[in-house]
Amino acid sequence: MGQGLRASMTWLHTWTGVVLGALLFAIFWMGTLSVFDREIDRWMMSETRIALSTSDIMSLDGLLPRVHEHVGQNVKNWWLNLPEPRTPIADLWYQDSSGAYHGPVLLNPLTSRQLSERQTLGGSGFIFPFHFNLHLRWFDIGYWLVGFAGMAMMALLVSGVIIHRKIFLDFFTFRWERKLPRASLDLHNLTGVLGLPFHFVITFSGLIIFTYTYFPTIPGLVYAYTTSPVAALHDEAQELFSRPPLNERAVLASLDAMVREANERWDGAGIRSVQVFHPGDANTYVRINRSHLDAIPRHLGVIYFDGPTGAILHTTDIPRPIKLVERFIVGLHFIQFDHWPLRWIYFMLGLSGCVMIATGFIYWLETRRKRHAAQGLPGVRIVEGLTVGAVTGIIIATLAFFAANRLLPSGAALAGYDRAALEVWAFYLVWLAAFAHAWARPGNAWREQCRVIAGLALLAPALNWLTTGDHLPKTLLDGYWPVAGMDLVLLAGAVIAATTARRLHRRGAMAAERAARDRLETAE
Amino acid sequence: MMEDALPLIALSFTVYLGFALLALSQTRHWRQVAGPTPPSHGRVIALRFAGSATIALSLVLALTRDGPSFGALLWATAISLAALTVALTLSWRPVWLAPLAMLATARRRKPPPCKPTV
Repeated sequence: MGQGLRASMTWLHTWTGVVLGALLFAIFWMGTLSVFDREIDRWMMSETRIALSTSDIMSLDGLLPRVHEHVGQNVKNWWLNLPEPRTPIADLWYQDSSGAYHGPVLLNPLTSRQLSERQTLGGSGFIFPFHFNLHLRWFDIGYWLVGFAGMAMMALLVSGVIIHRKIFLDFFTFRWERKLPRASLDLHNLTGVLGLPFHFVITFSGLIIFTYTYFPTIPGLVYAYTTSPVAALHDEAQELFSRPPLNERAVLASLDAMVREANERWDGAGIRSVQVFHPGDANTYVRINRSHLDAIPRHLGVIYFDGPTGAILHTTDIPRPIKLVERFIVGLHFIQFDHWPLRWIYFMLGLSGCVMIATGFIYWLETRRKRHAAQGLPGVRIVEGLTVGAVTGIIIATLAFFAANRLLPSGAALAGYDRAALEVWAFYLVWLAAFAHAWARPGNAWREQCRVIAGLALLAPALNWLTTGDHLPKTLLDGYWPVAGMDLVLLAGAVIAATTARRLHRRGAMAAERAARDRLETAE
Repeated sequence: MMEDALPLIALSFTVYLGFALLALSQTRHWRQVAGPTPPSHGRVIALRFAGSATIALSLVLALTRDGPSFGALLWATAISLAALTVALTLSWRPVWLAPLAMLATARRRKPPPCKPTV
């Protein structure tokens, strides 16, 4: 390995890291939280904290009149996502005659009644989309930024391995008692090297998910004859079925019988969703999707039933090999399967990715601080504010989002924004304030923001208790893990942030003492 | 519940143990745990072999618990987490790995040479 290569890779690693690190931290942080997006949903949407046992299966035939109440008569199709262990609600969606999509209408699976309007985006509506599009929908710019950051992440991982001087000698080494540049580089190397397989695969699979966003013209080369090549590609790859309406009336056969038959064919794997096309028409047909809780690839089986007779029209089981590989790669990123040990490992390794990015920044800052101060360069000051805002700032903003969710009264509205939008405003305004604070108070920002994190992380479980009555001992005793787990993680975060703030305070006090002594000596 | 947890505990234990053995085969970490004498060449080889074999065993455990698809993914992610845990153990509480080092030295320790008595 020539010195030239290592030097150029160092340059690439340093500049990519400094320029894109803040964006990468945001993506990693939101992705890590998205591992538990449904649990965050339960915490934020307290009316959906329904304890569902496996025996509570909804009767779809009994539900039909209520579905028609919501979707009306003249719809192209409607579909119902059935409750799952992590999502104890059913959500109804439909496409009206003009082709526009509506939903979700949330239904309580025990009573089939509609749940009150969802007044928050929650984990799956705010945190999860933030992870892949930053909520920047204008010209899909968010998708492209995330894709660019993902490519940069792969380059960072590879260049990081190349520039690492002692990859095996330092394999298990974290000298936390050494000076900050050494300790932060150790931790950066440790999380980078030991987490490399996870970080590489998770970044790569994240990019694969949006293949057709990043390469929109490729399906058009093959499916040039249709107006929507991407849809044609999906139809063919997934062997989907469709047929036009006949414009004659007919009555739908029993949905429950179709669900039973599908479930038997899939050896009791369960049902994810039921979709009815051209409801009321003689050519109506029903698509039933297999549950993907027991497998890594999603959408493993689809059965189409003839609506009026209930006979099977078309089945697809395992997709074709290339599609199956794509499904596997995508599925291991989405982790929609039911596997708690893996879910927690993903969460911990996601956090290790956050640590890797943050320590990379700290190393950059600490190795340049003296030189920049001596030469009067603004780099450290600018990047330090960026780092604090990106790291502790986004954590504070997330906690403010949770706190706002518990504090805002039902039906709250301000300046034309509804309650869900106000929570999002709380997130962005607090994040902006954290950046302003970070640039305004260099030297104190880390410590002060850690204190704010500790305070908010204590406040959130307290607010949850006050507003819902579900305090930690109660949820623990009931074994209601979505809320108990969220509260426990928040409290653990509070302890970590408080400890960090105390250590930073001590370190700051020692540094100030040293500086005062030096001043005294030079004065003498 | 217990039947479900036991294979998982066994998997966590073996994968952690495997990386701990590999770490002890490095002079720096051996010294942290077992004192200033560096491990002999034979001991290094033995530790590396035992570590690799234990990690291989953990793969077998993961595959038997979860099948090829979930098992492979569980193992591939668990090794990262276990290696990180070993590194953190070594930096905060290296003494926790002392029993392991004692085990590795137990059989090979020669009796101390008799001092000539006056």
